[in-house]
Amino acid sequence: MGLYIHIPFCIRKCNYCDFLSFGGVSEEGQNAYFRSLLHSIKTYHEIYSNQYYVDSIFIGGGTPSLVEAGLIEELMAEIRSGFTVDQNAEISIETNPKMLTKKKLNTYLEAGINRLSIGAQSFDDALLRTMGRVHSAEDVLENYMLARECGFRNVNIDLMFAIPGQTMSVWMDTLEKAIGLEPEHISFYSLQMEEGTPFFSMLREGELKEIEDVLDREMYHRAIELFMNSGYQHYEISNAAKEGYPCRHNLKYWSMEDYLGLGLGAHSFMDGIRFSQMEELAAYTKGALRKEKGGAFVAWEHKNTRQDDISEYIITGMRKLEGINLRDFETRFEQTIEDVFSANWYRLQKYIDEEYIVKSAENMHFAIKGIDISNTILTEFV
Amino acid sequence: MNSYQQYIRNFCIIAHIDHGKSTLADRIIENTGLVSHREMKEQFLDNMDLERERGITIKLQTTRLIYKAKDGHDYIFNLIDTPGHVDFTYEVSRSLAACEGAVLIVDATQGVEAQTLANVYLALDEELEILPVINKIDLASARPEEAKLEIEDIIGIDAHDAPLISAKEGIGIEEVLEAIVAKIPAPKGNVEGKLKGLIFDSYYDNYRGVVIYTRIFDGSVKKGDMIRLMNTKKKYEVTEVGVYSPGPVTVSELTAGDVGYISASIKQVADARVGDTITLDSDPTAEALPGYKKVQPMVYCGIYPAEGEKYENVKDALEKLQVNDAAFHFEPETSTALGFGFRCGFLGLLHMEIIVERLEREFNLGIITTSPSVIYKVVMNDGTVEMIQNPSNLPSLMDIDHIEEPIVKADVMIPKEYVGSIMEICQERRGKMLHMEYITETRVQLHYEMPLNEVIYDFFDALKSKTRGYGSLDYEFIRYEKSNVVKMDILLNKELVDAFSMIVHESKAYYRGRFVCEKLKEFIPPHQFEVPIQASIGQKVIARETVKAYRKDVLAKCYGGDISRKRKLLEKQKEGKKRMRQFGTVEVPQEAFTAVLKYDDNK
Repeated sequence: MGLYIHIPFCIRKCNYCDFLSFGGVSEEGQNAYFRSLLHSIKTYHEIYSNQYYVDSIFIGGGTPSLVEAGLIEELMAEIRSGFTVDQNAEISIETNPKMLTKKKLNTYLEAGINRLSIGAQSFDDALLRTMGRVHSAEDVLENYMLARECGFRNVNIDLMFAIPGQTMSVWMDTLEKAIGLEPEHISFYSLQMEEGTPFFSMLREGELKEIEDVLDREMYHRAIELFMNSGYQHYEISNAAKEGYPCRHNLKYWSMEDYLGLGLGAHSFMDGIRFSQMEELAAYTKGALRKEKGGAFVAWEHKNTRQDDISEYIITGMRKLEGINLRDFETRFEQTIEDVFSANWYRLQKYIDEEYIVKSAENMHFAIKGIDISNTILTEFV
Repeated sequence: MNSYQQYIRNFCIIAHIDHGKSTLADRIIENTGLVSHREMKEQFLDNMDLERERGITIKLQTTRLIYKAKDGHDYIFNLIDTPGHVDFTYEVSRSLAACEGAVLIVDATQGVEAQTLANVYLALDEELEILPVINKIDLASARPEEAKLEIEDIIGIDAHDAPLISAKEGIGIEEVLEAIVAKIPAPKGNVEGKLKGLIFDSYYDNYRGVVIYTRIFDGSVKKGDMIRLMNTKKKYEVTEVGVYSPGPVTVSELTAGDVGYISASIKQVADARVGDTITLDSDPTAEALPGYKKVQPMVYCGIYPAEGEKYENVKDALEKLQVNDAAFHFEPETSTALGFGFRCGFLGLLHMEIIVERLEREFNLGIITTSPSVIYKVVMNDGTVEMIQNPSNLPSLMDIDHIEEPIVKADVMIPKEYVGSIMEICQERRGKMLHMEYITETRVQLHYEMPLNEVIYDFFDALKSKTRGYGSLDYEFIRYEKSNVVKMDILLNKELVDAFSMIVHESKAYYRGRFVCEKLKEFIPPHQFEVPIQASIGQKVIARETVKAYRKDVLAKCYGGDISRKRKLLEKQKEGKKRMRQFGTVEVPQEAFTAVLKYDDNK
């Protein structure tokens, strides 16, 4: 199983962010949170450690690298004390370019963390300011070098495109700089205007202009082209990696494999049941004081029906460029995919005929132009 | 008047929306016998979900209460609830006819407003005693003295000793009850006379069949009597008589002055028409009560099953709705684009919206509503006449000699300050003024001849809008007249969609065409290709708009392990698609049809 840990703290929130994270939480608060977090790990391993061993860990946030290194150390220790962690497990941590020090990096390495994700987003200082990022392009470079120096051999760089004010040439420049650093993995997301974020209000007030769909798609396609010509495999809608370096943890999400998410608002999928942890920071932190059993942290739970499984198998599997294995589908669900969706297959056939989807007897995956309208196509499968 | 009648008070409460009618009704019920405070539901007399949501009363409910007055006597109060909305004027007028008086609520912070006046006029027409009451005196912005003056100046009735109350806080309620005893006349009528009763509402109950709400004016009625409904000329045997207090309570008989209900194995509400007169079949009264009329639909539209919905389900639902809504009419209709459906008549746009919403929510149906139409008389070259209501059935122009459209006589009643703007909207709609007169110093009635297709399209709403709700409309068909009407078609992505076809007067075609194209552009979502929208007459395109194509519909990030969020997003997107109807290559949402139909204030 995979293990996801959520650290919901940031220096301050970026203008576009709608993730579950908070700026300005005191060290005391962070500490208190960790008490609860560690307690929940203890509780959950009592439930799962007999049946599962952990082969991937992902520490995400927020900015996990914001907290004191010692807390991360404690975290890893707690995980190992309760769960059996495979010696070849992929263990990632998300970091922000401004927060990394040699000391932190070494602590991470000693704790067994072997994959580093750097939230660069852009190499253009003006854009970084627009986005409300706390670092500069220089910081990205510095931190990347530092990570290599310390010995990290599996590094990911996060990039963003379709940022208001971004031109194609700035994007290409960013890509080239990122690829030039030769990270093992690059994630590239198009900016989404989410309700409740400063960007959204600015957009509504007319202070920001959204990048047009046509340009957004062009940026996306040019990025893919560049990756392919630079030795990267575009393996998921928004992810590219050198051979052997796709993110094993994230792949679990897209392959209907088991994963446990602990910490504020974290999501899990274990034994066919989806559940998530509570989202109120104060309540979560108090949890430790009450010594709640694992169940009390849970805000929501749902046992997947067969229909849920089928839909999710497809909508997650199709995020991978390799798509889904139809033989496997048939074995799992004891029905062919054409049969399950016979009522609207005529519409899907249109997409196949027009080459948005590529389908053979064994496999079904999106063509690149299919990715552009993947949501539209995927509604046929829910 | 006998001693029994002496202690009866039949009254209703009339007010502008939100001036406190329901709250006062609740308080009156609370402060009299038969419904205990504990059992009371909030706004007891409003009883449908839709009504709660919209905060308006649609269905009538009447309650008998016993009030022990200061003079020591027990009085029977028959509180008749009335719908507040302008679409239901006829029903309001008939329930007013069942009363001797009306408690008129005026909000002390708002004064006399549109609905107030409209309903007061109706009450005055029925010669009711109006008892003004000033409400919401608990609020800081209350100006009761001004409200009283307004009542005196605008309506012209004495308000100097109108009770000052706060229905919400329960202040002044007793004063109102005493005023009802003192000021509202007791009913008159001959108990020994020939039975004469007014049907002021009816509804269908699963167990008891159609139940009639009635006010008895003369004579008496009891179980076993054979009654005759004078306008529909049908006979029924009475199985039960009773009163609502608040639930049904059987009594041995209802006599002159009483308000109650009658069950008589009547199968459909359409047979027990509001305004009809009940009498004894064996000894009928000479004349029916005045004021009866068959309700006229003002607004029509086509209702069709949406893609994936069964025709039978829609038919069933319409039939069920009609059971309790005598004002709702429908008959089968077809469309090349939409298949088999129904042409439906409503009292107004609100009535239509309510029916459509009930079909969608209560009956869980996917439906499409289309542009309305009237029936045209098409005279062919060879002299034969075809009656066409579906624009798509219009024969080839080459074979047509001329087309005639139905003309109505429209009586518009408005306050005098709106005469100018109403004359304008009548003229805009090809109306020909016949004459005009002052009904009172402040009220004017205009008589126009107007094409029916102009009336039903949006005239009623324009009238209400321009007169801030004060205006009212009555119309009746007078004749067919030759007219320059043309068939206007709408093409989506170069394909004709007959659901939007309409027959319009050629002088209106351009504006109508532009309007429809603009509205459709607003509602048709982006497709993977550009969608041209065109309005055309024959081969000539008279208006066009374009819906740009979309290029992107993808979720960049997968929210980590939160798969259900993604799934829910897609499900929502899919739901949105369900309300779409496919026309060739173009998907059109249900809302587009309504939008094209609705009155646009900015036109």
